[in-house]
Amino acid sequence: MWNPHRIRFISDGTMRLTILVPLALAAVAPLAAARAQQPRTIAIDARLAADARLHVGDVVVLAAQPGEAGDTVRIAAITRPNADPSEIAHQEYRVRVHLDQLQSLTAYGDRVHRFAVQSRGGATTGSAVAAIDAAAFGFLAHRSRDVAVETSATFAVVSRFHRAIGVITVVASAIFLLCILLLKVDERRKDVAALRLSGISRATVVKSIVIEASMVALFGTLFGAALGWLATAIVNAHYQGVYRTPLRFALITPRTITFALVLSVVLGVAAGALAALRLARAHPLALLGRR
Amino acid sequence: MSEPLLRLEHVERRYHMGGEDVRAVRGVSLSIDAGEHLAIVGPSGCGKSTLLNLLGAIDRPDAGRVLLDGRDVSALSDREATELRLRRIGFVFQRFHLLAALSARENVELPMSEAGLGKRERAERARELLSYVGLAGRERHRPPQLSGGEQQRVAIARALANRPALVLADEPTGELDARTGAEVAALFQRLNDDGTTLVIVTHDEELAAAAKRVVHMRDGLVVRDERGVAPAAAARGR
Ligand SMILES: Nc1ncnc2c1ncn2[C@@H]1O[C@H](COP(=O)(O)OP(=O)(O)OP(=O)(O)O)[C@@H](O)[C@H]1O
Ligand SMILES: [Mg+2]
Repeated sequence: MWNPHRIRFISDGTMRLTILVPLALAAVAPLAAARAQQPRTIAIDARLAADARLHVGDVVVLAAQPGEAGDTVRIAAITRPNADPSEIAHQEYRVRVHLDQLQSLTAYGDRVHRFAVQSRGGATTGSAVAAIDAAAFGFLAHRSRDVAVETSATFAVVSRFHRAIGVITVVASAIFLLCILLLKVDERRKDVAALRLSGISRATVVKSIVIEASMVALFGTLFGAALGWLATAIVNAHYQGVYRTPLRFALITPRTITFALVLSVVLGVAAGALAALRLARAHPLALLGRR
Repeated sequence: MSEPLLRLEHVERRYHMGGEDVRAVRGVSLSIDAGEHLAIVGPSGCGKSTLLNLLGAIDRPDAGRVLLDGRDVSALSDREATELRLRRIGFVFQRFHLLAALSARENVELPMSEAGLGKRERAERARELLSYVGLAGRERHRPPQLSGGEQQRVAIARALANRPALVLADEPTGELDARTGAEVAALFQRLNDDGTTLVIVTHDEELAAAAKRVVHMRDGLVVRDERGVAPAAAARGR
């Protein structure tokens, strides 16, 4: 006993074909013989499975329009969405069907605008590209890498923009840290005076303030990195849920952390040393406001 | 005649304030022997603190000489003066001037660590000193967790850290109530009984009365130098 769902196949032309063709090609031959008894299989993506409450093993009818007659098929797999930024805005479903089913659904005959060929990599890719280009007039083969570069130009710009924001944030907070350190050290005038009066040398005073400043910078950065990591995890969890994609929306990389760490420690030591020297050079009585 | 611990020869100290000269100390000569218990008293602004800072190599005279162990302190470089303060002189201030972030023991250990004492020796001596000033068991407390009197005891322990030849105190009971002040005065008395040379600037009559010698100042000059007053008699006299 089954309860077949009807799926309207959304045909949006060529992009879809590109992806589906190689799959369909691979599956079509062995299945042709067994077609009579068993319903053929398709794969749907996780978004569709969730929205239509479909599971592996469910039997559905493939039709171009609701209510039309079509192939009865069984769902054999549920695919995960790609981590592709160009896909997150479109709330589309992806269905993998056999080539002949696709042809009858789209009523597009045996024509395609594009198809993909998987090569073993290395030199074979170059010869495959050359062979396809030479096969007939009007064929134009591209490596997937080149296509990817071309289609991700927008994202490269966005990524640069993000990096700029990141750098500005880190530099601004480092300057903030510098000012805080200068102020905090200045609050120590009385302590420094007491130390100097009890015979603690300038060098010791400067050294201890610099060590403290670099510790503050170091642990401050580590704390900030931990906070950033947590924020990243929250942002990703939230938007991955909203857009149903494995794409990561916020990134914190070892390079980011290294940059922040180096910058803040260098600035921390510099600020600490500067402020400490200023205090240590002053006469202790002057620091106590007595001179 | 043996050399006194500390000798001042015609010491002067002037401040320039807005084109006007303030003569805070105007030619003071004074000898202080090892083991003395001396109080400097006088009206506000007569130059007591200025004189004490000169005695302690904190400040330099404009004229005259300050000799500690026969050595001219006024000619020392800043580094040498710092070293001298570290090893030969202990200071106690009106406002304690302890480091709030450090425990009582760490405050006492600071000058020892600067003097190069080993960790274990430092810890042991700091414990001894804190128990000497009546703060056994409070080693781990930080200054904000201690009362004013207790903080001043920590400061006294710190002043004694490197076994100084001389302890200088400027209004050590100025921030304390009468009872706590009396306790600190008793502690200073014990310090002197145990052989520490003491010079205390004070308005506190009880503290001054406990001294065996009282130097009276007025307008930057020593106007009276009372010696040989027995502490008990002085205390009764008040
Ligand atoms: N840094 C300074 N600049 C200018 N004048 C000063 C300075 N320090 C002290 N004086 C002046 O020198 C004089 C003596 O000051 P000092 O602090 O030694 O007095 P004091 O006897 O300790 O007074 P008090 O009992 O109020 O503490 C005062 O007239 C004071 O105004
Ligand atoms: Mg004074």
